[in-house]
Amino acid sequence: MKPPVFDYVSPATLEEAIQALSAPDDGDVKVLAGGQSLVPLLNLRLPQPGRIGDIKGLDELTGITEEAGYLTVGALVRQREAELSDVVRTACPLLHEAIPLIGHTAIRNRGTVGGSIAHADPAAELPTVAACLDAELVARGPGGERTIPAADFFTGFFTTALAEDEILTAVRVRSVGPATGAAYEEVARRHGDFAMAGVAAQVRLDGDTVAEARIAISGVDLAPVRATKAEAALAGRTVDDSILDEAADAAVADLSPSSDLHGSAAYRKHVAGVLIRKAVAAAAARAREAR
Amino acid sequence: MKTREITVTVNGRKRTVTVEVRRTLADFLREDLGLTATHLGCEHGVCGACTVVVDGHTERSCTQLAVQADGREITTVEGLAGPDGELHPVQQALRDNHSFQCGFCTPGFVMSIYGMCEEKKAGRSVPCSRAAIREELSGNICRCTGYQSIVDGAEAALAGAGSDTGKDA
Amino acid sequence: MAGGSAISGLVGARVHRKEDRTILTGTGRYIDDVQERGMLHCHFLRSTVAHGRITSIDVSAAREVEGVVRVFTGADMSAITEDLSFAQPIPGLNSPSYPAIARDVVRFVGEPVALVVAESRYIAEDAAALIEIEYDLLEPVMSTAAGLAEGATQLFDDVPGNVVHTDEQLFGDIEAAFAQADHVVTQSLDQHRWACNPMETRGGVATYETGSGQLTYEASTQTTHTLRFLLAGWIRHPIHQFRVTANNIGGGFGLKFSAYREDVAVCAAAKAIGGTVKWVEDRNEHLVAAGAAREEQLTLEAAVKADGTLLGLRVTMKLDAGAYPINPPATVYAGLVRTTLPGPYKLPAYQFRHHIVATNKASYISLRGPWAVETLVRERLMDKIAHTCGISPVEVRNRNLITLDDQPTKMITNVTLENVTAAETFQKLVEMVDLDAVRREQEAARAEGRLLGFGVGTFIEPAPGTQEFWAAVGFPFGSEPCRIRIEIDGKVTAFTPQTPHGQSHETTLSQLIADELGVGFDDIRIVYGDTDATPFSMLGTGGSRAATMASGAVVYGSRELRKRLLEIASHILEASVDDLDIADGVVSVKGAPGASVPIAQIAMGCWLAPEQMPPGTNTEMEFVANYDGEGGGFSQASHACWIEVDQQTGKIEIKRFLVVEDCGKMINPAVVEGQVIGGIAMGVGGMLLEHSAYADDGQYLAATFMDYLMPSAPELPEIEIEHLEFESDKVVGSRGVGEGGTVLAPAALLNAIDDALAQVGRERVTETPVTPTRMLELLGVIEKE
Repeated sequence: MKPPVFDYVSPATLEEAIQALSAPDDGDVKVLAGGQSLVPLLNLRLPQPGRIGDIKGLDELTGITEEAGYLTVGALVRQREAELSDVVRTACPLLHEAIPLIGHTAIRNRGTVGGSIAHADPAAELPTVAACLDAELVARGPGGERTIPAADFFTGFFTTALAEDEILTAVRVRSVGPATGAAYEEVARRHGDFAMAGVAAQVRLDGDTVAEARIAISGVDLAPVRATKAEAALAGRTVDDSILDEAADAAVADLSPSSDLHGSAAYRKHVAGVLIRKAVAAAAARAREAR
Repeated sequence: MKTREITVTVNGRKRTVTVEVRRTLADFLREDLGLTATHLGCEHGVCGACTVVVDGHTERSCTQLAVQADGREITTVEGLAGPDGELHPVQQALRDNHSFQCGFCTPGFVMSIYGMCEEKKAGRSVPCSRAAIREELSGNICRCTGYQSIVDGAEAALAGAGSDTGKDA
Repeated sequence: MAGGSAISGLVGARVHRKEDRTILTGTGRYIDDVQERGMLHCHFLRSTVAHGRITSIDVSAAREVEGVVRVFTGADMSAITEDLSFAQPIPGLNSPSYPAIARDVVRFVGEPVALVVAESRYIAEDAAALIEIEYDLLEPVMSTAAGLAEGATQLFDDVPGNVVHTDEQLFGDIEAAFAQADHVVTQSLDQHRWACNPMETRGGVATYETGSGQLTYEASTQTTHTLRFLLAGWIRHPIHQFRVTANNIGGGFGLKFSAYREDVAVCAAAKAIGGTVKWVEDRNEHLVAAGAAREEQLTLEAAVKADGTLLGLRVTMKLDAGAYPINPPATVYAGLVRTTLPGPYKLPAYQFRHHIVATNKASYISLRGPWAVETLVRERLMDKIAHTCGISPVEVRNRNLITLDDQPTKMITNVTLENVTAAETFQKLVEMVDLDAVRREQEAARAEGRLLGFGVGTFIEPAPGTQEFWAAVGFPFGSEPCRIRIEIDGKVTAFTPQTPHGQSHETTLSQLIADELGVGFDDIRIVYGDTDATPFSMLGTGGSRAATMASGAVVYGSRELRKRLLEIASHILEASVDDLDIADGVVSVKGAPGASVPIAQIAMGCWLAPEQMPPGTNTEMEFVANYDGEGGGFSQASHACWIEVDQQTGKIEIKRFLVVEDCGKMINPAVVEGQVIGGIAMGVGGMLLEHSAYADDGQYLAATFMDYLMPSAPELPEIEIEHLEFESDKVVGSRGVGEGGTVLAPAALLNAIDDALAQVGRERVTETPVTPTRMLELLGVIEKE
């Protein structure tokens, strides 16, 4: 299983990178960040790009900053770096919970935050976190910079709103305040495998009741699903078993996942409900501790 | 371009080679540099047999292009034993514990466990319990042993790794 | 721990392995490590359809690619090779022959349809992508039921009705058994297809020297001599000019026991091109095309008395053989299941029917303990019998197991059992488990909404088996040779046809030689595999033979050489042979260590000046021993498995796993434990995770490690092992242990799952794998698809 022939460029600046993505003479251009999604596919000769643009040299895409109530993670930040970052842990506990679930250490040593989000695997943790938190995805193209809200970013199966000549440069989320807790729960066949279903949940309490609940589900559709009905059901309520049931049932009713070798549609649907209960309960408990 | 000249430092030696841009790091190490200890078990980044250490981090060499490693420092299994062939403490711990059988997965495990020990020596948190060690090694597949003897060896290696620098476990 | 003091002390000890320095430093030589100057690389283009007639193939574009040396179509390859044939004079066996590369028809997704030989694997794959091939699709047969159905598409002209073989055998009075029965307990199981998946895939390096006509094939194989004679015939090469070798092998588990069409094609290509040609299968190809096993459907009916005593058993088995036969013929698998199924139980009457069916899948190959389904269904049947009769799984076994006191006795399948301690391992297991505490724990868990399960199992395995056993199965039980040579410097080289791939033979055989001959452990070299150097054996490494057979060969070989040394020494030292001892390479008079002569001195004299050695002594310092097995024997074990079922996610966690095993005299306990634990891991993986799945249209679904899942470290518990070492009166009391874990663990695990299901009033497992989805279906939490 060896990669097919392709052309390779490694631009030194973001401008050069964007130019490299525009108008190649032969076939697709693919952006190479950590390569943990792209290179296995190249080995299988599934994509046969005309050109690969390796953006490892773009230092402006590294860096984790927290400023004015927002956490910004550069697209090229390694997942492992984000995992170990104290800034991420305090500003975005959901990210901190989710990242260790990605594959294995060696994968996170190379995989990037932006790479995973741009790859948009509907079972992956980072796109689900982005959807949950209404992250802002910052992209740069020949026309300049734009910010794409997560709700508009994941458009389909492994498909994003990024244009052919755009590069994702950063992910931005609102930093959490007090009384906010987060949890990421998933079910995979083995430790580190892609989840059959997963739930990202973040809960902000106002006293004893839910001021804001955010819930996103992975692995049940072509892209991460925001469980808006569940979120609405939770608003203003005290988190207890019966409201968790109500929320989970509301979320699951709308789901029609597909079947594969690892899990049936009925399984995924059922387990999504189980994980919603678990994740929201855990997020609420942590929110209580963080009051 | 379809080829590129890269410079990598491998096991302490600087090497400059012109490679096809599509060549994987694993094939570069194995064929261009003749370092065949790093094995290919799957070429999809799942089994971990191809694990090497790059700039101090464990990484899979099969899901990486050689050109991505330009300018970096790589350690493979061949770089661990001492100049007179003395086994590295990680290798010795694994030998003492009968950790392996057919040996095909072995270099990947050795480098992963070596990576864990280096993290420990640098004062970062590492798995302490056998269950935590199993989780940390979940990215390396072995078909022969059922892992128990590998966990024995990893436990011994980690216990030994703290003492060098006097840092806490 | 090094060699040193040799007499008794190494056998039975956890001696550090000789193999480890090499594998830990990565200095081994696996197939893909072979990198010769000018070596060419092979890549097979493989069928993307399950069943079809090749209507055209155009390799012209592939041939034009720079760096491509040759491209072979099926027709090209058939011009220089014979079709592979695994036919044997077995009545009723329909064994079609087939070309190394498909010529007219393809019969499974992954079947080789062309071979590209190029300067690199990268280029070979580029060229393969340019080959144009067209198929007329034929209806694929994707199950035994589909294959046997009225009017089913026939895969081969000479396999009528897709039946490779069918047979029924009767033992005892089965009608009477059922007439007398208080209960008839029935059970069925559909086991799924799963595979060996060694970490090193298949491969070989073929070198043809155009000057001398010598062909050498360095292969990742479990059986060099058989590979040699099979390949020589098919590539039309004189066998005396054909050498097969094996160096480091990254696991086999039975898969690498056969000769494959790729081996034929690669050797033929080397011969046609000249020079060295390497083939290494990649994981994707391996998962699709290398073959798999365990796809069997069984129904059982047991006639039992009210107290759970077995009266008779009827079994029907269908085995999904895939399209093409390999070595051994599938009748061997059926024979193994039939012969072994009664296990260590008293069974007065037995009927076994089987149908081996051809389907459009990759071949059914040997997978560690190929007969394992017999233990799986039997042990689960025992639990069901217990349930029906209102007794415990322990009691039902106690009532039916054959104990040592009952032996020697004959199994209903005409195999004598002696020194079989399955019942004793089970007894010990039961002593170690507080069954009442287990049930109390389960009850407490249920009160908290948790679900625990507990299962046991026991079995015997032919390790290496006996003459009678293998005669009943229909497979040879050959003797095992070993050539041992005392070198001029007094050190030892032993040449064995074994091809170790993780079994630690270099260590265990050295331990035995060291103890028998009195030489240092580190002063012994084991040479294996090479057909130029090692004595002939059809069997290589597999079938849990080596612990008994290879051990016996080195023990008898060492004893003969020891005898010769002592005889010569007795002249030199003027002492009686009985007064002599050998330790650390020196022969000395007992109690008079000053009176001594080093082996090296004797050896040098024998090699360089035999005429000067004491007259009448045998000065041949090299001897080929042939060990007949002293009757052979069985290994046995009992397992207990504790699980917790997550009723919300369907995931099964193995909380505890206990083994009581008896493989006779352990040569190296660390090696035994490694085999047991590794075997259990494979069995657990098979039941919960692994699936070589096909879609109904014949497409293969589990083509990468993202879909074919093997257990990783967190999926397995810490396994506890208790050893019983039965002491027989044989010279070699060691029995094999390589397959047992894989054979029994699935039974204990499934019994635990059934136990959990029973506690919540649900039906037993009838289909594997028990995935989280299937578990929730069984629990009634979700609907079956």
